[in-house]
Amino acid sequence: MYFKTTDAHEAFRKQIRRFAEAEVKPQAFMMDQNNEFPAEAVKKMAEMNLMGIPYPKEYGGAGLDVMSYAIAVEELARVDGGTGVILSAHVSLGSWPIFQYGTEEQKQKYLVPLARGEKIGAFGLTEPNAGSDAGGTETTAVLKGDYYLLNGGKIFITNAPKADTYVVFAVTTPDIGTKGISAFIVEKGYEGFEFGDHYDKMGIRSSSTAELIFNDVKVPKENLLGKEGEGFKIAMATLDGGRIGIASQALGIAQGAFENALEYSKERVQFGRPICRQQIVSFKLADMATKLRCARMLVYSAAELKEHHEPYAMEAAMAKQYASDIALEVTNDALQIFGGSGYLKGMEVERAYRDAKITTIYEGTNEIQRVVIAANLIGKMPKSPSASKAAGQKKPAVTGLRKKMIFKGGSAQERVDSLVESLRKDGYDFTVGIDIDTPIAQAERVVSAGKGIGAKENMALIEKLAAAAGAAVGSSRPVAETLKYVPMNRYVGMSGQKFTGNLYIACGISGASQHLKGIRDAATIVAINKNANAPIFKNCDYGIVGDVMEILPLLAAALDTGEPKSPAPVPMIKMKRPAPPKPEPVGKSYVCSGCGYVYDPDLGDEDGEVMPGTLFEKLPDEWVCPECGEEKEQFIEEA
Amino acid sequence: MYCVRNVTDDLYWIGANDRRLALFENIHPIPRGVSYNAYVLTDEKTVLFDTADWSACRQFLENLEHVLAGRSLDYMVINHMEPDHGASLEEVLLRYPDVTVISTAKAFMLMRQFGFHIDGHPLDEVKEGDTRCFGKHTVTFVAAPMVHWPEAMVTFDVTNGVLFAADAFGSFGALDGRLFNDEVNFDRDWIDDARRYYTNIVGKYGPHVQLLLKKAGAIVDKIKYICPLHGPVWRSDFGYLIDKYQHWSTYEPEEKGVMIAYASMYGNTEAAANALASKLCEKGMTNVAVYDVSNTHVSYLISETFRLSHVVLASVTYNLGIYPVMHNYLMDMKALNLQKRTFAIVENGSWACRSGDLMEKFIQEELKGMTVLGSRLSLASSLQAEKAGELDALADAILESMEEEKK
Repeated sequence: MYFKTTDAHEAFRKQIRRFAEAEVKPQAFMMDQNNEFPAEAVKKMAEMNLMGIPYPKEYGGAGLDVMSYAIAVEELARVDGGTGVILSAHVSLGSWPIFQYGTEEQKQKYLVPLARGEKIGAFGLTEPNAGSDAGGTETTAVLKGDYYLLNGGKIFITNAPKADTYVVFAVTTPDIGTKGISAFIVEKGYEGFEFGDHYDKMGIRSSSTAELIFNDVKVPKENLLGKEGEGFKIAMATLDGGRIGIASQALGIAQGAFENALEYSKERVQFGRPICRQQIVSFKLADMATKLRCARMLVYSAAELKEHHEPYAMEAAMAKQYASDIALEVTNDALQIFGGSGYLKGMEVERAYRDAKITTIYEGTNEIQRVVIAANLIGKMPKSPSASKAAGQKKPAVTGLRKKMIFKGGSAQERVDSLVESLRKDGYDFTVGIDIDTPIAQAERVVSAGKGIGAKENMALIEKLAAAAGAAVGSSRPVAETLKYVPMNRYVGMSGQKFTGNLYIACGISGASQHLKGIRDAATIVAINKNANAPIFKNCDYGIVGDVMEILPLLAAALDTGEPKSPAPVPMIKMKRPAPPKPEPVGKSYVCSGCGYVYDPDLGDEDGEVMPGTLFEKLPDEWVCPECGEEKEQFIEEA
Repeated sequence: MYCVRNVTDDLYWIGANDRRLALFENIHPIPRGVSYNAYVLTDEKTVLFDTADWSACRQFLENLEHVLAGRSLDYMVINHMEPDHGASLEEVLLRYPDVTVISTAKAFMLMRQFGFHIDGHPLDEVKEGDTRCFGKHTVTFVAAPMVHWPEAMVTFDVTNGVLFAADAFGSFGALDGRLFNDEVNFDRDWIDDARRYYTNIVGKYGPHVQLLLKKAGAIVDKIKYICPLHGPVWRSDFGYLIDKYQHWSTYEPEEKGVMIAYASMYGNTEAAANALASKLCEKGMTNVAVYDVSNTHVSYLISETFRLSHVVLASVTYNLGIYPVMHNYLMDMKALNLQKRTFAIVENGSWACRSGDLMEKFIQEELKGMTVLGSRLSLASSLQAEKAGELDALADAILESMEEEKK
């Protein structure tokens, strides 16, 4: 093995360097001063076919390898760290997930213009409560027939608002942690998609960074990237590759600072000779060069692994972590060599010193890089009950995963208004309705009475609300069977009628298990009950804790449009609730040829002291089958 | 009286039938009996391939003596040491003490464990790829671990293209004199027993069967005869058989269709199962089979589950749990590694209905690659007219999922 880039790589480097020196470097100081995006340079990069370096030519890319891409980022960052990350975020974060997970249509529509550089790409994962821990994602996407309704926001998004195409992560199945996150392609210009202020950053100031704000953004269904629930997987795989980009950027920033310091040390004379002839300075330069070579080897080897489709997540994490750590050391030493001169604005080392810092922070802090590396060495953390509880993975309620949004604050009127607003936002149209006597099994909406309704004359409140909501009337079992307020075919429950429509409003129903089983398929469950501890509240999407006598008239008034309802569409349009996706296994299982025992990496081998999460490939060579003692080689992969 | 048949040239079937045994492996009913196949090659050397169950020993020995016609026995190849084939081994050793036993290291270990006195006789331990020549015929040995025991191998005669397949490609059912697949109507009279044999005996070991099929794929054009240890000898239509094995060992269903397995105490869950079956047929899905789990041996249920794409489990709640026989069926599916089926659930309970949730939990948590349809039919004691809509929705959900799978 010959640890050297090819002649083609070096020729490519020369081409990029010539461009960077001529087109970026002269502007770098001004862009840094003015927080200004190098629009002209980026346009020229597109003309040079740099915006899609590692993508196939048929998708508008340059058809080059990952190493070439790493070299391009490195060379741009060598003169300006901000320009380096523009390319890195565009190629690795904005384009790669579409290249890897997109359908052919998505690739034609979005990847081609990105790879050609006609459009700029960005990636929206980070939120105020979801940085290193993506499980905290709060942006939501709710399927509404042909589109998803996107709500929430993202922070610290590189290339925003300049970018045209955003890969955005949002929760499609609440309450199940990272398995409920999905990825979407969102275009700039969609109604309700806005940007916050451009951040005033310490470094990489030529790179644009902004907040994304989603307010009822309709994202077409076909812009779902991959499948529902695959978002976290897509985000993690994207960041694996992105790390090579950031490692290259860190390497380039440090390389530029080092070259400047080396040159300066040869010119600056003290005590009668250039300072590079002072041993302390020469040793500093020696250390800087050693660190740079070491980082370069890590970055290039990770790039080569990725190019050859070998596992590279750990190596990319090592490269990112090491290159960025030493970028801080090298830029610090470079500035030290410059002395007071280096401390002045306008000096390249001063800018490099500031630019370098971000590389230990973004696309996975270096703390997270060490988590990634350690997990590759030791295995993932076992799924302990307490850990999964911490990740918000509780056992779903009888009615499945529900929003459980309980309106507590404010007056009764305000609570009712909040509820109605939420229902409207979910897409309920109260100008249409169904007949009050529609059989429960065919009803699109039902207003149901429980024992909490009290005296029989209060059923008038239920009927009035049903009319206002365009719903049929139902009840709990005792209301039909014992109180006989409604006929027996009106009671909802597992043993009675099952409600499979969209909107179910439970009034004074506490939520016995058999009742809840009868409304499992409801798209939306609303609970109104004065007992805050009633089980119905753990099984509803929206709830108001309050007396039905007070709440029902207010709700009926709020839903009443003053006109008779037009008939709801037949057959009803069922609002889909996403099924919780199944957890994916950690890795492949293997079967013993001596006895048929199956090694499942999710379980590990407790007796053999193999931790859950350990891949078969990572089992020690001396590990044998716990049942029959056959060696590892006697296992075959389970299809 | 001997009872043998010539397979080809100098190869003879010398096995025996057993129609008295009620339960194979003392667990699976075999109303059509079973055959224990053994074969003799009369080359320059004489070679016996496997022996027979103890119950068939006398007939087997008589057959062996007849075919040898006064010659001595030179070799005994043991492909599979399970006692339904290996039990008569010691009787052969007593009668032909100079015979060389050819088998795998693990098989020799098992012979000693089962108490056969092999030491003192010539033993020839072989492994994958070894060959032995008996005159005209040369055979090669291919390891077949966990199909369905670890010591198993298959032997291929490269001279005449005979594959001694051990328990692979075998079937329940006694041979009524008709030895070859082309002498019977296999697809009409044998496939159900062949499936029930494979799925219950070998079903769990799909990955290892796949491995063996891959090895066999390399020599498939050279195979002329497949000689299993149970059931008919194959000399034509290999594609039919391989296709079945391909489905079974990858857990892919053979047919789009619905199996309804119900557990009913007083006939009410049964009525719902019948109603659903009729509803499915009315809607055009006529490949439907209904089974009472209490009156159907689980080996039949497993076999049918391997055949069909969709399974409806209809169970009463019993002691706040799944009806025990239904539970046993579910546990057998797990034990046999059954995968890739779509389930629908019908639950019944008169005061606290739990069976549906518990069955769904079992399928989701204990079985692999299964889908449970969201629509569930819940009964309180019996199926009432108001539930017609739900019954309809359940049938629709099943049909819809068949459509989706087609895509």
